[in-house]
Amino acid sequence: MKTNAIYIHPAPVRIWHWLNALGFILLIITGYHIRFPESIHLLSLEQAIRIHNYTGFFLIANYLLWLAYYFNAGKVQIYFPDFRTLPELARRQMRFYGYGIFQGEENPHTITLRDKFNPLQQSAYLGLMFFLLPAQIFSGLFLWKVKGFENYIGLLGGIKVVATIHVLLFFFFAAFLMVHCYLATLGHTPLAHFKAMFTGYEEHHTHLPPNHDGGTP
Amino acid sequence: MGRKIVLMQRVAISLIIIWCSWCSPALSLDNYECFFCHGQQHPGATAANTDDSRRRFFIDPQNFNRSVHNLNGVGCTECHADINSLKHGKAVPHVTPAASPTCTDCHSATGAAFASSVHAEASNKGIIMRCYACHDPHYVIHQEAASVSERQNRMCLRCHNPYIFHDWLPQKEAHFSFVECTACHAPKVAHHVHLTFYDLVSNQFLSGDTVLNLLRIDAAGFLPLIDKNQDRIIDVNEFETLGLMLRQRDTRIIFHAELVADLAPAVHSLTKKNAEKNCGNCHTANSPFFNNVTIVLSKADGTVDHHEVERAVLEGYHLSHFYALASTRFRFLDKVGIAMLACGFCLVMGHLSVRIITVRQRRPRRQTQSPLEHKGGSA
Repeated sequence: MKTNAIYIHPAPVRIWHWLNALGFILLIITGYHIRFPESIHLLSLEQAIRIHNYTGFFLIANYLLWLAYYFNAGKVQIYFPDFRTLPELARRQMRFYGYGIFQGEENPHTITLRDKFNPLQQSAYLGLMFFLLPAQIFSGLFLWKVKGFENYIGLLGGIKVVATIHVLLFFFFAAFLMVHCYLATLGHTPLAHFKAMFTGYEEHHTHLPPNHDGGTP
Repeated sequence: MGRKIVLMQRVAISLIIIWCSWCSPALSLDNYECFFCHGQQHPGATAANTDDSRRRFFIDPQNFNRSVHNLNGVGCTECHADINSLKHGKAVPHVTPAASPTCTDCHSATGAAFASSVHAEASNKGIIMRCYACHDPHYVIHQEAASVSERQNRMCLRCHNPYIFHDWLPQKEAHFSFVECTACHAPKVAHHVHLTFYDLVSNQFLSGDTVLNLLRIDAAGFLPLIDKNQDRIIDVNEFETLGLMLRQRDTRIIFHAELVADLAPAVHSLTKKNAEKNCGNCHTANSPFFNNVTIVLSKADGTVDHHEVERAVLEGYHLSHFYALASTRFRFLDKVGIAMLACGFCLVMGHLSVRIITVRQRRPRRQTQSPLEHKGGSA
């Protein structure tokens, strides 16, 4: 078996990823505190709200930097699957996760610089980064300044509707984070993907020549 | 002898009656006599009276007639008790200056509450607060039907700028819009959530009488019409039915909720240092601040009928504009959220379990297979 390493996660992406991870954990803890203050007493409610707000703004800035980086580097297309081939590729990927992986089969998707995500990841991240995260950002902004955004809140049906969107997405992202961390253990070793997100190099077990997909630096 | 005594008694009684009938106009002046001068823009127009003082002594008779004092039969000389006779012919036909009325003669409980308030403490700084600094006794009206903004504009905001002292408070504007100052600054006073009717077409609050007209009932018929199970509490279903009834009358009426303090005398014991500053007391599940919810049907005289409503209406989407973090949250969402987390957890644990169980199965395959495993990313 030959092990190659592809430089798949450039430094800005890694920094963004870990800042995002830290921010999400803070938002989930403080969000839980705000939603269920009677069940947790780590902070006062006022402190939880302040930390939640500051972290929220930090993550908005982080998101905008991510967006600017991907658009500027011309890499944003890695988030957009080819919808013509998507159903078949997604089916193969689902079969792999649901069956093949237990049989020791080969992952049908090969990581390359231009094809970083498998079809399921692509679809999930497309929805996450371009729909759900902006929805969470806007609902969070509206909740941060209820009176300032009262016209927009009114258009959406009232503060309770906005809070519902924000809370459902909060639960979704908390569940997603759990699944995301687990899926990260499905590399060739349980820590391979974690390591890659620190070093930038994804170890690539392949029979193909090292420079096949853009080359390892 | 006996006849003489009886005769003398009769004479004495007659004299008392005559004296009383002669004195009574002086002892109890009628309001109209006061308004003869004070109801005009220029009472007692003399060289000594400047325009300012003329305005100062002017009492608008129409507004006075609508005041709580007048509606309860409290006339001018009930408070201005030192004016017990008029000397006609003089420029100012009564004692001057008139003594300041003592409100606490009648409002003793209010006076006792006020004595322990931050307003009373202000006298230490040389600021003397009298009742009429906040309440104009000539025009005082019922406040029960008033919205939070009306209550604040009439009282607190005349002197205080709340934006100066509430930097610590998240969502200041939302709090000031939906929570009456006294809800926090008179923490010992009971609170209730006050549900009023708001017409989205005319953009104004509707009086109780208007709502009753729309429902084609009188005040006594409101509860029997809405409270079908006759427990004297409007539950969630009955509340929804009320909303439906109003929509069936071709109206666009919604309920407007605000948190207000009960207008008991104790509400005058306002405090600054002991004001409610612990967000957790209000923003928690089952917060006592939201235990009492009432529909307010206001009447023409400013009084109101309160109808108790089940607290659960605050936790649904019936009042989509009124949301207090944690305390009026929609509980069903929590169940949905727990289900989402449980799904994620089960997915992870299920997959992990099968991975562990099938380790042996994969081992021989790996040994025979070409080294092409786990190529792709997964996170």
